[in-house]
Amino acid sequence: MRRSGRNSLLALGDKYRIYILLVVVFTFMSLFAPKFFALQNMTSVLNAIAMNATVAIGFTVVMICGQLDLSIGSVITFAGVLTMGLQPVLGFAGAIAVAVLGGAFVGLVNGLLVAKAKINSFIVTLGTMTLLQGSIYQFSGGNSISVSTDQAFAISDFLGKSLVPLVTPRVLIAILLVAMVELFMRRTRSGRNFFLVGGNRSTAWLAGINTDRFLIAAFVLSGVTAAIGGIVSVLVSTAATLNLGENSLMYVISATIIGGTAMSGGKGGVLRSVVAILSLEMLYTGIILFGLGNEVKIFFAGIILAYVVLYEAYAVYRHEKTLGQRPELMKELAARTAATRDRKAGRP
Amino acid sequence: MSDLRTVRTGSFSNIMSTAGVYGIAVLFLALGALLQATGAIGNFLSPQNMLNIVDAVALVGIVAVGMSFVTYSGHFADMSVPTTMGFTGYICIEMLRYGFLPALLVALVVGVLIGLLNGFVIGKFRANPIIWTLAVNYVTMGMIRLIWANKQIYPDMRGSGEKAIALFDAIYRLRFFHLIGLPLVMLVVLVIIGQFVLTRTSFGVKLKLTGSSLRAAKLSGIAVERGIMLSFVLCALTATIAGLAVTSLSRVGAWYNGAGYDFKAVTAIVIGGMTLAGGRGTILGVLGGSLIIGILNNIMTLVGIGTFSQDMVRGAIFIIVVGTNALSLRRLGRDDA
Repeated sequence: MRRSGRNSLLALGDKYRIYILLVVVFTFMSLFAPKFFALQNMTSVLNAIAMNATVAIGFTVVMICGQLDLSIGSVITFAGVLTMGLQPVLGFAGAIAVAVLGGAFVGLVNGLLVAKAKINSFIVTLGTMTLLQGSIYQFSGGNSISVSTDQAFAISDFLGKSLVPLVTPRVLIAILLVAMVELFMRRTRSGRNFFLVGGNRSTAWLAGINTDRFLIAAFVLSGVTAAIGGIVSVLVSTAATLNLGENSLMYVISATIIGGTAMSGGKGGVLRSVVAILSLEMLYTGIILFGLGNEVKIFFAGIILAYVVLYEAYAVYRHEKTLGQRPELMKELAARTAATRDRKAGRP
Repeated sequence: MSDLRTVRTGSFSNIMSTAGVYGIAVLFLALGALLQATGAIGNFLSPQNMLNIVDAVALVGIVAVGMSFVTYSGHFADMSVPTTMGFTGYICIEMLRYGFLPALLVALVVGVLIGLLNGFVIGKFRANPIIWTLAVNYVTMGMIRLIWANKQIYPDMRGSGEKAIALFDAIYRLRFFHLIGLPLVMLVVLVIIGQFVLTRTSFGVKLKLTGSSLRAAKLSGIAVERGIMLSFVLCALTATIAGLAVTSLSRVGAWYNGAGYDFKAVTAIVIGGMTLAGGRGTILGVLGGSLIIGILNNIMTLVGIGTFSQDMVRGAIFIIVVGTNALSLRRLGRDDA
């Protein structure tokens, strides 16, 4: 089919929309928001996204597999509470190991129930989410857990101090994880198999891919990255609050979808989700810098998510409506009938 | 198992599967009685406690009946229920100064509008129901906090009339014969209407086909969009009714008024034998599911298990029920989820 220049430009814009959005938000806020374009603000923006960027890695992979993981928010808090709660007994290394394993275990349960018991992932993770919320309160007794030893403060200082301008170790951890998973997804055969599994599960199975194993792996990865996000975050603040992961679910879902990962699976990328998170955080920071409150932020976050879901759904709807239609043939036909009519009427 | 796709569809098996849910409810009642007999808990069987159970069941049940239509149509659940409940509560309190009936009416209209929006976007454009309703949930939450500046509101602080406030308080507190609360009456009425609509009207039958196979329904000329839209409207409507009852109970408009009702309702629906794949189940079963949840919560509270640990138990039961349900369906070769 012949494409007009305008259409291909639109398609290109759609493909790179997340990078365009980043540039637009950055430019707008730099020009208009007070104190936005400053080294200190940029560092705090990067620090702020470190947790959600880490969490988005696994979530995106799950979504590429065509599934949904609603339990990430509770896993973040769960891992944070485990780290701080077990630290007096096991020391930091042991507590962190247990927390990561805990995240992996939740992911494993999710994955097994989705892949083997064939239950809808939304339902499974809604269940584990509620179960985890209960366990968090059970374990912590309903209070936030803080550790105020010299060692804890030393770790917190180390993670929060800039290595080079803009980049603190907590940001570096996120960057390394994102780079690793992004390269794995793009450059290795196993990584690309995730896209196949998400795009069409039966075709992937017929092609000899162990689809169950990839589904389970995706959920385990999601559990692990959510746990790491939570752990790093509580290590920085030296306290595990019980609402740590509360807003992450909406944040990460919005960012992943805005980043262009298809809800039906088979399309997307980890890096794109993280760029979307960066754009959203810049937008929200700008909103706060303009002097608007947290409720405006929540409102905007919801509107953005709703808009993107609607946009994606509408694109599919349009595509299905016009499937098989050939506009240029219709135009030719119209021109021809007009010409015949003119000839019959005896006009030149 | 009530299912058009089975070889034999007898009303007998239908009754049996619904009876199974109530059998479990009776078992839980027996468990409570047993615990009381052993002295683990006091006054489980007292009339006051039974009344407590029924009142608690009424609120969850009202939400669950509406949400059943969404589940039945194959769209899992409506995650915008919590803030729909909160939002309509706020609106009703805010409007009380213009009288009780106008306030009630405006709240219901707003609820229906939210349902229409959900139903339109999901039915027409096939947006992912979970993510879309989650987004609506957040938008409504943001709206509540924007409009009322993060504050809770009370019925008597807006200069509304005494009579309107008394009527508003009565939504939850009105008792017929000092016994049967208004929410319970509403639940019973809604269950009867719901069961009738689902099984005896063309809308219900079409919804069953829509839930079983959207493509087949569409190809056989059913206006699936209209059915889906209507089911989301019904869900929002019952959420509004429950939201008003909850707000009347707590006498305060707060954004967290409906928190947790989405999951409680889904659990009641699933335990009640309505499968999440859509097209199977009955409203009577869902009522049974709500009863089980209510009795279980009551026993757990009496034994002294905290609210948050109750979440844990509910989550575990939810996963187990859904898991066994999916497995048994698959073993019977009826799995199409």
